[in-house]
Amino acid sequence: MCGTLESNDLLVKVEPRSELEVVISSVVMRQFGVRIRQVVDETLQRMEVTHGLFVIEDKGALDCTIQARVQTAVMRASECEELDWSVL
Amino acid sequence: MSNEPIFETMIPRRNARGAEVRSLLAASGLEIEKDIQIFVVACDAGRIVACAGLAGEVVKCVTIAEPYRGSALACRLMCEVQMLAMKRRHSHLFLYTKPGNAVLFEGCGFHMLAEVKGHACLMENTPVGIRDYCDKLQPFRQTAQRIGSVVINANPFTLGHLHLVREARRACDWLHVFVVSENASAIAYAERLDMVRAGLAGMDRVTVHRGSRYLISKATFPGYFIKDSCVVEACSTAMDLLIFRKYIAPALGITHRFVGSEPFCRLTAKYNEDMLDWLETAAEEGAPIQVVEYPRFEVDGRAVSASEVRRLLARGDFAAMDSLVPVATLSQLRASYPRVRPAVDCRATELIGVM
Repeated sequence: MCGTLESNDLLVKVEPRSELEVVISSVVMRQFGVRIRQVVDETLQRMEVTHGLFVIEDKGALDCTIQARVQTAVMRASECEELDWSVL
Repeated sequence: MSNEPIFETMIPRRNARGAEVRSLLAASGLEIEKDIQIFVVACDAGRIVACAGLAGEVVKCVTIAEPYRGSALACRLMCEVQMLAMKRRHSHLFLYTKPGNAVLFEGCGFHMLAEVKGHACLMENTPVGIRDYCDKLQPFRQTAQRIGSVVINANPFTLGHLHLVREARRACDWLHVFVVSENASAIAYAERLDMVRAGLAGMDRVTVHRGSRYLISKATFPGYFIKDSCVVEACSTAMDLLIFRKYIAPALGITHRFVGSEPFCRLTAKYNEDMLDWLETAAEEGAPIQVVEYPRFEVDGRAVSASEVRRLLARGDFAAMDSLVPVATLSQLRASYPRVRPAVDCRATELIGVM
């Protein structure tokens, strides 16, 4: 779990799952739903995440916030402390 | 009021500030429920202005003092509760609230499961919880006209349960048997499930399912496992039955639910009575499910009851159990409870689900 439900932030919850599933809800789903999904998918791809359930509650976060929260959630979920920042 | 309330955790009984939480809840017409293990409270200038209680995986007794409503405090409070719950190894949470507040909690990542109109809503903190469960049931769906269901705690599995399953199976094309999975009974879930499987082995047109949080659990039917008060509230049984009708029955195409009549436990009797109302009569989401009640199976003129078997078990009187339980149950009880175990509590485990 990572993030908050404050305005301009998002909460990311991760659970084990055999396939990859991303469920997004957002206060700005209509305007930016597609973009949010794109940012999340790209971030997960770059981190080579292949499975897990990602539940995202977005409160109008900027792309960079979304990216950072997803990255942290993945690191916490995988208990990984070292990250190859150059790849991201 | 400052903008930065401080969040703390508090165990109500051990804390001098329990009274403060109690009066905050009282202002919203709530009281501290007995099964709450820990509270998250928000303090502003030293005063408690919001609280949320945690009972296992159930969030309840959530309130915010009047002047603080409409701020972002609710979301922060719910975030804190989820963090606390996660530390306590519960990531999947349920929440009880009044129907009017459901929208507020939807903004905090909770999703509606069922509503007892005018009384209460049950929500969960995942968009995929009940969906996943129904997806797991789907492969067991049978194409036939009369699809029956039986929900048993089988604590332990008796000849009464066996009789009910046999009768129900005869009355329909396929029977789904659910074993209550909440581990709050004298006999552990794994053992109960084994007994049911062994007792029904070789029977065709029957599927034995593991129970779930959505079926007579501390989440859907909290009153049931808090036994000492034995309070029978108006909507305590409704939530569980509504979820069964709205999600579980459609996933398996269930048309009938079978129960054994309940001569002993008042709460179980009430559950059976309400079943007719919520599953069959009430205009609710999901097709009506026909409820069929069979008289309790009797041996020597006495209704067979699991609680009677537990009393015998506590005394180690296996000989007397012989006429009440299937062979498989008896041998399993003999193996698992070789000596008298007074710790087996008969009273607190009067189980429902049918008998």
